[in-house]
Amino acid sequence: MEIVLKLLNNYYYFVAMVLFVIGFHTMLTHSNLIKKIIGMNIMDTSIFLFFVAIGYVRGGRAPIIQQGAGHLYINPLPSALILTGIVVAVSVTAYALSLILKLYAHYGTVNADEIALIRTREER
Amino acid sequence: MSLHLPVLLIVLLLGASYGVPLLDRYRKNLAFPLTITSLAAVFVFSLYLIFLVGRKGPFFYHLGGWPPPWGIELYVDFLAVYMLMVLSTIGLLVMIYGATDLYHELKEEVLSWYYTLYLLLIGSMIGIALTNDLFNMFVFIEISTIASCGIISIKADRRCLEASIKYLILSALGSGCILLAVAMIYMITGNLNFDYIAAELPGALALYPYNILIALSLFIVGFGVKSALFPLHVWLPDAHSSAPSPSSAVLSGLVIKIYAIALVKLLWRVFPPQIYAAVPVLDIILFLSVLAVLVGSIFAMVQDDIKRMLAYSSIAQIGYVFMGIGLFGSRALSGGLLHIFNHAMMKSMLFMAAGLIIYATGIRNIRDLKGIGVRMPWTMGAFTVGAFSMVGIPGTSGFISKWYLALGALDLGRPFYVAVILLSSLLNGIYYFPIVIDAFFGTKVEPRSEHRDVPALMLVPVLILAAGVIFFGFFPGPLLNLIEKALAF
Repeated sequence: MEIVLKLLNNYYYFVAMVLFVIGFHTMLTHSNLIKKIIGMNIMDTSIFLFFVAIGYVRGGRAPIIQQGAGHLYINPLPSALILTGIVVAVSVTAYALSLILKLYAHYGTVNADEIALIRTREER
Repeated sequence: MSLHLPVLLIVLLLGASYGVPLLDRYRKNLAFPLTITSLAAVFVFSLYLIFLVGRKGPFFYHLGGWPPPWGIELYVDFLAVYMLMVLSTIGLLVMIYGATDLYHELKEEVLSWYYTLYLLLIGSMIGIALTNDLFNMFVFIEISTIASCGIISIKADRRCLEASIKYLILSALGSGCILLAVAMIYMITGNLNFDYIAAELPGALALYPYNILIALSLFIVGFGVKSALFPLHVWLPDAHSSAPSPSSAVLSGLVIKIYAIALVKLLWRVFPPQIYAAVPVLDIILFLSVLAVLVGSIFAMVQDDIKRMLAYSSIAQIGYVFMGIGLFGSRALSGGLLHIFNHAMMKSMLFMAAGLIIYATGIRNIRDLKGIGVRMPWTMGAFTVGAFSMVGIPGTSGFISKWYLALGALDLGRPFYVAVILLSSLLNGIYYFPIVIDAFFGTKVEPRSEHRDVPALMLVPVLILAAGVIFFGFFPGPLLNLIEKALAF
């Protein structure tokens, strides 16, 4: 019972971890390259969610400081870091998709297993 | 001037990588001189940094004048300057070699992009070596990941494309693990600076042990994928064998090592030592490294393609570095760190020699190499030195690092690992010696019509590295001195 309460209180961490595992699993088990990239993005997004959730302070607002207003502010550092993380994820995704386009032009498929099959047939 | 030197190294390379394509638009033949000038400048600056650190001791550099915990901090210690020396020397030599080789392996219009990616790669690796900040390290890791996939896929034939997508997906997996580990560490310590985290972690260990354990294991998986630790090595043989020869030399010589160095920095400086007594993390690394050393060599034996054989041999050799990390005694670790430099020299030299053979004759298959030593005596001479060093014949630098690893294992009372090192040396001999013997004493094959003469500019870096392997085999003193200081923090 206690663990359920703990999970409920920290459900955003829990959801982030579930998403991470979904992404990880998709990336490793699907042979379709596009699905692998989608899995990669789910995994990255889950980490961003996790990171931003760390910086949240319950009842806090955006950290635009007003002197003497006595507001509670959230921690802005994780959000700032995640902006960089998003840029990195976007560029990796764009690069991977362009590689997949080229692969499709060469092999006529986006399935990693089929590409491996074609390659072994060529080498023989 | 000298105050801003650490960041200047990174900024110079990243700036030049933007400048190269711009300059290429303006005038075609200026891209390469800019590349080589900036690499040479970085080489000179890092020599000066070694001198500076040797005289005044390690120092910090605050980016933009912001002190930690707010700003990003670079830490120029002996480990960092050691890696700087490795990166800048090999980086410069490989580019001198690549000047001629790339003209034949790549299309003319992508050449300047290759220089861009190469400069980005070297710059980001220098960043990983210098940085003292977790998130900054992650950003540099991502830059080097994209750049190192780029210098494979730039050849744009089917094999390179397939190899680079495999590499990219597994690397992205590793980056994801590293970023999650950074999040776990930030969650409990609230800091991203290595020294501040190291101060917080012993206290946090009692409160949040699971976070630290998860972070530690994610770091090991992430860096393990990127540096091709044994069961996570699947991307390496394709990537390193299909890439253009200069890329193979840099990828095998430098890129897989820098992640091992990042892991050493984290394990040695950030995580509290109590954690290694509580959980068998180091034993797991040791177990995997033993498997890597043996299995990598066994796979290498059955390869026909010379570059593929060298790639599998890299998996075995990175096993030695991880064995040094796993044994974690100071002498074993210095053996592992020394092997980083030695293997960077040997493997980039071997890949360049293989590239020379492919350039001159078009032969990739090991069985066709019979009698090649008579036709290309200098190239095969250098290859022989590299092969001897891989096996660990005394008088070559490979012997020194294996010697120190073995001594370190004995220091810790684990003679089993000495046996592993001996066995793997034997295995190395089984696949390196036949090539050397066949090349010099095998029956001569008729030279093919496509035989080309080897330009001196391509041969010079190979011979410099061969001389280096022999020199550091006889005089390892200055290097060992540097490494001992690096581990004394």
